[in-house]
Amino acid sequence: MTDYDAVIIGAGNGGLTAGLTLARAGVKTLMLERHNIPGGCATSFVRGRFEFEVALHQLSGMGTESFPGPLRSMLKDLDMMKDLAFVQMENLYRAVLPGQMDITLKADRAEAIQALKAKFPQETSGIDGFFDLVWAFCNQWIHVVIMKDPEATSEKHPVYFQYALKDTQSVLDEFFKNPLLKSAVGIYWSYMGMPPSRLPFGDFAVIFWAYTEFKPFHIKGGSQALSNALLNAYIQAGGDVHFNCGVKKIIVKDNRVTGIVTDQGDEIATANIVSNAGTYTTYVELIDREHIPEESRRELGARTVGTSAVTIFLGMDAEPEALGIREATNFITETTDNDLAFSTFRTLDPPMAMLFTCYDVDDPEFSPKGACQAAIVSLAYSEPWLSIPTTRYHETKYRYAQDMLNTLYKVFPDVRHHIEEIDVATPLTHMRYLGHPGGAIYGFEQSARDSELFLDGSSPIEGLYHAGAFAGMGGFQPTLMSGQSAARKLIRQLK
Amino acid sequence: MKKKVKQQISGFSEIEQEIRILRKQAPDRSVEKGQVSRIIERLHPRKLNLAVSEIREETASAKTFRLVSGDHYLPPFLAGQYINLFLDVNGIRTSRPYSISSSPGQTAYYDITLRRVKNGFFSNYLMDEVKTGDGFQSTSPAGYFHHNPLFHGKDLVFLAGGSGITPFMSMIREVTDKGMDRRIHLIYGSQQEDDIIFSQELSERASRHVNLSVTHVITAPSSSYAGHTGFITGEVIRSALGNQGLTEKMFYLCGPEAMYGFVLSNLEKLGVPKRRIRIEIFGPPADITAHPGWPEQITKADRFQIRLKNGRVFEAAAGEPLMNSLERNNITLETSCRSGVCSLCRTKLLSGKVFHPAGAQIRKSDRKYGYIHPCMAYPLEDLELLI
Repeated sequence: MTDYDAVIIGAGNGGLTAGLTLARAGVKTLMLERHNIPGGCATSFVRGRFEFEVALHQLSGMGTESFPGPLRSMLKDLDMMKDLAFVQMENLYRAVLPGQMDITLKADRAEAIQALKAKFPQETSGIDGFFDLVWAFCNQWIHVVIMKDPEATSEKHPVYFQYALKDTQSVLDEFFKNPLLKSAVGIYWSYMGMPPSRLPFGDFAVIFWAYTEFKPFHIKGGSQALSNALLNAYIQAGGDVHFNCGVKKIIVKDNRVTGIVTDQGDEIATANIVSNAGTYTTYVELIDREHIPEESRRELGARTVGTSAVTIFLGMDAEPEALGIREATNFITETTDNDLAFSTFRTLDPPMAMLFTCYDVDDPEFSPKGACQAAIVSLAYSEPWLSIPTTRYHETKYRYAQDMLNTLYKVFPDVRHHIEEIDVATPLTHMRYLGHPGGAIYGFEQSARDSELFLDGSSPIEGLYHAGAFAGMGGFQPTLMSGQSAARKLIRQLK
Repeated sequence: MKKKVKQQISGFSEIEQEIRILRKQAPDRSVEKGQVSRIIERLHPRKLNLAVSEIREETASAKTFRLVSGDHYLPPFLAGQYINLFLDVNGIRTSRPYSISSSPGQTAYYDITLRRVKNGFFSNYLMDEVKTGDGFQSTSPAGYFHHNPLFHGKDLVFLAGGSGITPFMSMIREVTDKGMDRRIHLIYGSQQEDDIIFSQELSERASRHVNLSVTHVITAPSSSYAGHTGFITGEVIRSALGNQGLTEKMFYLCGPEAMYGFVLSNLEKLGVPKRRIRIEIFGPPADITAHPGWPEQITKADRFQIRLKNGRVFEAAAGEPLMNSLERNNITLETSCRSGVCSLCRTKLLSGKVFHPAGAQIRKSDRKYGYIHPCMAYPLEDLELLI
């Protein structure tokens, strides 16, 4: 006798889409969330007159009405489009290395090529060659990976098989000479939390191609609007949800899930669980060691938890134009050596690469009239933050944030005169709110060995399914889609 | 993708080899169980168990309670932050936030200082019933009314009224004790001269530290009083600070409800931009029906039915925050600020309508999907809640 057909642990992106998919299929589902609000990373908080976006910078995979991407198709499937409005962002990004480079790429292949050629006229053939390669690769990737061509071979799809696991840096080196050009083209590496030298080209190519073809988007009302809409649809479809209710244990008997115990000590019987708590937390915190096969414990032990971040939330009492902000997405780097920049994320020294996103550029209604908000993000590992005594945490946080602001002021000097609100989130903040080891924001590292090519994401325990960044890739599109896919697997097993 | 397809990818077998070696040497992660929460507990424990170690009379109507840890240790805080105290008052489990008045330079104890108020259900209970040795729970320190070195600058003006001095006292003690490079001008409104909380300590600190000045404003002065009288007007501010650099300073406001509108309009007249003003959050207004936007036809005493998901029904008065009515019926929600801001009590309204006064900070999409903050929500109709 079970209380629910399925229990979902965590109302993050993956938990929400899993819940909605299950509830719509008539599966009696309970969702448990330890916080008071759905979304996980996909959330917002209000400070003064600003509602700050916490995590979403550029939503991938949307595409347009006439050329829908996979995420738009999924949201249509889930009948969510009527509840949401999306704002298309004009640019891929602006890449700035103060004093040395400043270039903006539109979300359009031909225009991006043109902008690069104008800045780097010596390298026109390399630029053409690189774009041709990215598009050829993605074309073959669709056949091999997405359509699962049963006759896929390295002869039929040479670009895919040759380049999928190459490191991104070596491909940039193959086509470009000027380090500034390599930096300008390769800058999306930070969205994957891995420097180009360790980022599989396959992952880089797909993200670059997908943002260009399906365009970057933002959500009206921020990512919380999406989380709230998904939860609302889930409740309407008959799903139950408890907030302020964490799970402390998954009960396993004879290699099968039989229920969960909540933080309050209530036992709920179920034969199926979708864990959006992350595979690390699920196996380390929720399931007793004796139930995990040695092979799975070794698999977990061999994996590397990915990076966290420091985010500065900035509310300003002027509109973007008045502050010299013309692009929504601005990558600011202090070096063309991405390995060096990445190394700074393991220290408390000024980070040498960061992202500045001003939401009001593409959506003037995002903040109150006459104001705008931005997020400054640098990737950061938790280790150095753990070495600070708690009594020095606040001063360290502000000193680190001041270093980031000093870099920002080199590009946007007027911002400093219009600050109305600032809040700072560190790896410890992410650890507090996400519960993930190291405050990881993208799950495990997006290196080749931690990618889905080598791990199938299935659980050794029957009835247990995983959704979210730790189950595959980080970011909004992958985590949203991971929930639906986990729910579908679960439904197939029920039948 | 099938294994035999994957194996054709250049570099695949090398990475497989790398994984085999890593797995052979892999640590057993199960030993890390509990690590994340242990790290977070040091900075943000979910609940603190406190004990009163000392009670000090500050004025005839104000007392300081020194709170020490009952079990664990007290986490660090920023001067200006508050804790929310939980207490059973006449059989009702409820809570109120109080700013910490002691310096963050040490965390052996937190001081809170409060003042007797007319009909102050919780404060007066603390004043009259709580004794040395009593224990209770609180949240860990929270709140945003603190100096932010990223943009507040070094020239600070504290505008305090009555017991609104408490967060400023913490900031003043920190800056003067540590010799920090910040200039503070405190303009402090009190009813009468002998109502001034921390009067002696403030004048002592001001005489010893050139970076602290204090201006008192007395509403109902004795005949012999020679200082500023009345309220904290633009004139008082200008005479205390001079005309120079007013727009560069950071102004902080904390005091009784009535002080906010008055002082804010005066700051505006002095040309102080909104970005240079910090306002401490404050709890439910004394009379919500006087609040702009309150529907005329509904009176304080009107009562509505509150229905919970388990079928329970009880009544709540329109003139009282919903959270108080819930607590009276033994339903305790998570809460920290009780001012509509922290969002911990966020609750879904399934049907009915509530009034949120300005100051309750509700996310845009929360409004759309009917989420309310019961600590600052007043029932205007019968309600159905997802609790």
